[in-house]
Amino acid sequence: MDDLPFQKITISGPTLSALMHRITTSLGDVDGLLFGHVTHLTPSTLTDDNTPQNPDSNVIATITSFFCPNIPLSFYDSLGRVDSVTLHRLVSPTTHQSNSSSSTSNFLGWFSARRKSPIRPSMREFCVSQSLSRLKTAAKGEKDLNPCVFLLFTTPVQGELLYHTHEYRAYQFRVNSRCFDPKSIGIDNIGPDFRGNYGCFSPNSPFPELKCASAMNDEVGEGLNRMDRVLNDQKELDMVAEGFCVKDLGKLMGSETLNSTMSLEDLYEKMLGKLDNLARQVEKSNAKVLEMENHNRKLRYKIARPVPE
Amino acid sequence: MPFNGFSPLISSQLQYLLNHFPHTIQIEQAWSGTRYFPGSLDRFTLLIPYCLDYIKWDIIYNAEFPLAAPDVIFGPEDDGFHPFLVVGREEGDSRLVKNSLTDWNNKDPSRLLALVMELRDKYRSYQERRVGEVDDDRLKFEISTIISREGIEMHMSSGVEKPGEVKFAVPLMDMNINKMVLGCPWSHPQKIYLQVIYPVGRKYAPAISAPRLKLMCTPELKALFSIDEVKLPAWLDGMCMAEYLPHLEELLQRQVLEAVTLIDVRRQFIEALSPVIGRPLEADPVFCRKASFLVCSGPFTFLVHFFLSTQFPKQRPSLMFQSIQVMFFSLSQPFSFIHESVARKILRHASGANPFFIVRHASGANSFFMCHLSRIPVSLLILGGVRIRSLQILSCIAYLISYFSRAAYSW
Repeated sequence: MDDLPFQKITISGPTLSALMHRITTSLGDVDGLLFGHVTHLTPSTLTDDNTPQNPDSNVIATITSFFCPNIPLSFYDSLGRVDSVTLHRLVSPTTHQSNSSSSTSNFLGWFSARRKSPIRPSMREFCVSQSLSRLKTAAKGEKDLNPCVFLLFTTPVQGELLYHTHEYRAYQFRVNSRCFDPKSIGIDNIGPDFRGNYGCFSPNSPFPELKCASAMNDEVGEGLNRMDRVLNDQKELDMVAEGFCVKDLGKLMGSETLNSTMSLEDLYEKMLGKLDNLARQVEKSNAKVLEMENHNRKLRYKIARPVPE
Repeated sequence: MPFNGFSPLISSQLQYLLNHFPHTIQIEQAWSGTRYFPGSLDRFTLLIPYCLDYIKWDIIYNAEFPLAAPDVIFGPEDDGFHPFLVVGREEGDSRLVKNSLTDWNNKDPSRLLALVMELRDKYRSYQERRVGEVDDDRLKFEISTIISREGIEMHMSSGVEKPGEVKFAVPLMDMNINKMVLGCPWSHPQKIYLQVIYPVGRKYAPAISAPRLKLMCTPELKALFSIDEVKLPAWLDGMCMAEYLPHLEELLQRQVLEAVTLIDVRRQFIEALSPVIGRPLEADPVFCRKASFLVCSGPFTFLVHFFLSTQFPKQRPSLMFQSIQVMFFSLSQPFSFIHESVARKILRHASGANPFFIVRHASGANSFFMCHLSRIPVSLLILGGVRIRSLQILSCIAYLISYFSRAAYSW
């Protein structure tokens, strides 16, 4: 049962481009973990045929995010045996933020990117996938699926015939037959062509559920309790918008809806402001990370230098 | 040096591998996987000899993390080959696995060799398993009779379009050829193999046909023994390999022994030349296949190269004449062609026989003649024929004729 074949593997355009960016800017070969969800499609075509359709082929794996530790052999060893302790630490909610807020983001599998090499899974990649699939089967939860997705990225070996800069392939690791099953990969973008996909869209960071709006009408609650709640809500709201007051949320509903457009726009603006702020933080921290990376690289080269005789 | 582009740790491992691998191993191509130092190579394709063919494996190091163990990508046909796969269910026993990757140390130059050797061994058993799985009674019987031979290798190839076949590489003769050659220059042991190819997979083949047979040998052995000259004994109907091989081995053994004695015949020939035309400028000391002499005829000085085939007394030697003057004067000087008809005339005059074969080089600079000198068929290659005036050719050929008649060496 846990070995359902996927119909295909999809990835959203932004996730793929972020992944590609990570790969092209990396110093050397990188790998990492993939997160996402699995959708069971309801077959929409009804036929008069009595031949039963294969229900398995209606499963689609969607990759929504990834995590790249930026060092080789981070969660497995040179033989491709997964280190479950490290893996659980990497997959755990504190490391992987989007996992915490909703259960829609599961650990789906992993990816490997190596430059100038044939686009075939290597010896170690096979072992890692096999080891991952065994790990989950061993400690199986009810709705846990095997982290069986494997994305492989390479750059073409023949440098002169560069029609494209990257090649990628998606595989599903089949536990029972112990082999890689190549899958087609679909890229979901925003646009009219992809309208069909909007139905199964689930945001990574949904707007927090706030109880204050209803509490607002209660007016005189127990003063301290209420203050506490408002403070709490404000904290949660600050996670998604910059400087939007909880009290103003009330304007979006009830009797004050007259100016709702304006206050909604205000909320959006504040949310964009939050995004902007976050982007700036990311930029700064990235610069710091790069600096540390360069430092580490120098240290690594120092170690690798052969011992002078 | 082919290791220039590699980082020091990879380079030392590669060097060790190429020097210590029991067969000749090659690097086909190498690339770099780093972003900032595209000149620093860290991945390469190895051509590893297996079953009289090569298997191509890609070894992927990571120049950015020089201490990390390498990864290997096998050929596209071998997607079922998983040498280090842990089959046991329990987590505990996978930790006990010990192989050349488990305690990798990049600073030890012998590690890559150990890895490639171990993988090749595992590949051999993998191929043996695949061949064993083929549902073919005749093949199963053949395997059971020859599997005990040491060093036998087999390979199963099954394409989508071409029919499947099983290839065997059977090492022949348990003799050390390296030891038989005095001052042997070979670094690898020389062997002769019989390649046997069985077509399989055609369930309803009308009749059992003979397998395809071919003799092959390690490339360096060609200096001593020409494998192409050996005529394979016929494969009789209903024969099996166990019957065929002893016969063939006996035949080969005789021929190899003969080839070794022929070295001495060639040596004697070269030694017999020196009292007449002087000591050789250069001679192949081990196999005595080539000797060059500096000869002069009047004012004209030229080189004579003798090329002796492995079948020497039976097969005539080839001679190449090379004018010293042409060697030293550059090619920029205008050439006057020896015309074919002129060449014929000269040779007829000199040897009293018509050259039966003349090939003129496109540029006209070199001419190749085959003719009889004192009834001995000799091939002559006259280099830079243009500079040598016909008179000179005449005189040097006349000189040689007089030498040959004097030496009276019987081939």
